[in-house]
Amino acid sequence: MSEYFAGIDIGSTMTKVVIMNKGIISSIIGPTGPEQRRLANKVMDRALKEVDLPFKAITYIVATGYGRINVPFADKQITEITCHAKGVAHFFPETKTIIDIGGQDCKGISINSGRPIDFVMNDKCAAGTGRFLEIIADALGINIEEMGEIGLEGNNPAKISNICTVFAEQEVVARLAEGVPLKDLVAGILESLANRISRMVNRLKVANEVVITGGGAKNVGLVNALSDKLGYSTTVPSEPLLTGAVGAALLGKDIVQKAIKNGLPLERKERSLKEIEIL
Amino acid sequence: MAEEQKKGERKKRRTATEAASSIGPMVKESIGGTIRAKQEGKKLAYSFIVCSYDEIIRAMDVVPVWTENYAGVCGAKRDAERFLERAESLGFSRSLCTYALCGLGFDQWREELGEMPPDAPWGGQARPDMMLSSGQILCDPRNKWYQAAQQYMPDVPIYDVALPYPLYEDDIEVADVADYYIKYIVEELRGLVIFLEKQTGKKMDWDRLSELVDLGEKTWNLIWETYELRRAVPTPMGTGDAMNTMVPMVFMLGTQEGYDFYVGLNKELKEKIARKEGVIQDEKYRLLWGGGLPSWFALTDFNYFNSKGAVFPVETTYRMIEPIYKLNIPETNDPIERLAWRWLGYWTYWYDKAKKRPGSEPDVERLIQYIEDYKIDGVVMHEAFSCRTWHLGLIWQLNQLKKIYKPIPILILGKDEKKKVEKRELPSLILESDIIDISSYSEVDTRNRIDAFIETLESVAKNKGT
Repeated sequence: MSEYFAGIDIGSTMTKVVIMNKGIISSIIGPTGPEQRRLANKVMDRALKEVDLPFKAITYIVATGYGRINVPFADKQITEITCHAKGVAHFFPETKTIIDIGGQDCKGISINSGRPIDFVMNDKCAAGTGRFLEIIADALGINIEEMGEIGLEGNNPAKISNICTVFAEQEVVARLAEGVPLKDLVAGILESLANRISRMVNRLKVANEVVITGGGAKNVGLVNALSDKLGYSTTVPSEPLLTGAVGAALLGKDIVQKAIKNGLPLERKERSLKEIEIL
Repeated sequence: MAEEQKKGERKKRRTATEAASSIGPMVKESIGGTIRAKQEGKKLAYSFIVCSYDEIIRAMDVVPVWTENYAGVCGAKRDAERFLERAESLGFSRSLCTYALCGLGFDQWREELGEMPPDAPWGGQARPDMMLSSGQILCDPRNKWYQAAQQYMPDVPIYDVALPYPLYEDDIEVADVADYYIKYIVEELRGLVIFLEKQTGKKMDWDRLSELVDLGEKTWNLIWETYELRRAVPTPMGTGDAMNTMVPMVFMLGTQEGYDFYVGLNKELKEKIARKEGVIQDEKYRLLWGGGLPSWFALTDFNYFNSKGAVFPVETTYRMIEPIYKLNIPETNDPIERLAWRWLGYWTYWYDKAKKRPGSEPDVERLIQYIEDYKIDGVVMHEAFSCRTWHLGLIWQLNQLKKIYKPIPILILGKDEKKKVEKRELPSLILESDIIDISSYSEVDTRNRIDAFIETLESVAKNKGT
């Protein structure tokens, strides 16, 4: 009989679920709202329905991300640092550095054999995160998904001097009014963001292979700018939002195997998706 | 119910030692004592910690009002915001030292009212008769704070004690320049004595000053000996408690009460060690608090570390560096000269060690010594945005450490002269917040970082085993 493991990653902006046995058999990505607990149930339910599995078929569930404590059915909570390390190393075993550009934070992780050995985080400031791109895309009236491609066309990146997201937004609008071409402006924005991220990540000892995850990894212009700043080529997983959830599921599998090997009891939560009352 | 907490009152932090739990009432009594002293007509002086003039003001019967302490109390009671806001409305930038901002906001409010601000924490900060600045090269508020406060108390005189020390340079011997520095510091301290004599109308009793310097040095050595007891496994006291037990070290040096406190703490730690009683019994990780003042409003973060199996047997913050006899203080009967040499020895102790390791710095040598002596698994630092002096360079120090504690196997020569491979990884964590500005702090984010750090320590331990 197959064993199934689930990982659920509740980030500040997106919630991700994967169900795995030998590989990923189901995955769901949805926006995180204010009702994290209700959403956790919903995305898990959808992931199960996708492969027609009953909830009780899941052997072990690990929750990660900022909302990990809001997953009532998770058997264990593990931080996203450890989960990203595990998940990324699963796809790219030689990885030494991970840069995770999330919706409202950004992290750099040094790893060795799939385990974190050092990390840095920016959770204080929107600058250097996906939120920065969202705000600027809004100010420019373009779709955030288009930004990367537009930025690649800019041969003369505009200089964006403000670090603060709010002031950078004003600066961008002013530069647009001055007649700076959109492609150069976007290229400048991505360069500015890459500067901030690389400054933080350089506090670690960056080493090959460098993998970029999170929503920011979907922005090809940002990835290119970041590779230039760091002086390393970078790799992006085919679905960069899922590595945390994949790592969570794999860590769950490790926990179960270790418990079986050592004859230890396994604490698990009840497998039910009860309606959660939101106050 | 008697035990019921008052509305809005925070639960008392759990401490490992009785000594640490006695500090709150001690500080409260000390602050109340300054208010009573004022009413009794005694002379009060705004003072800075680590000022080198502790024994001088005690010998002159001047009552110190420790302004950094009062700001810290406001922060710990989560009641600093209104004083910070007031200082900001007076035109001071929020990015200045928040101890100073809190003090300035408080002083202006007290002067405007002619009485303590409403519900001032622990009765408020008494109005001084004089203010004793204490510059130590790098910390500008120690010169500028009281000058700014004088706007609201123009009748209160300031004496600015400049206490320099030679900054580290690997091609300069401290011994070559020490006499020059000592001469300067001695002049500054003698000037302070003249100032105090003028303000109090009393003459300095030099014999009494010598006795108090003796007592200060005896206390200094006792603190060092007592804190060294924390090397024990499990450690009987962590940094969370040390952030309390620093009070007699920095606010009561040269007093019998201060000395007696450490006699008690020494006894308590020895008893705990004999019973093998630790902060936590099953120590998984021993951490070094490697720099930075704490967030006074979030000392429970130390308990959170404890709940994850981590303890802090040592810290660089608020710690006597080494016993007096190791500071190369020349024989002298002049108590002022002894204070000057003590100051110089305190700041330059690690210079010689740093010279022996190319590229190193004294602060890094101190970290290395503690890492080795206390069997440290990881380093935690705190970057307080408003304290440039203390917190600048922390990242650089960690980078230097990473050159020594590398996450790769290194070949070392063992005691038996045999070569062996060892991994000496040392994960580090930088917490970001402030000393008293609570608006800079997020408990969720801080604890998320701590969780991730603990997992990193765990994986480093596993990697060592592979």
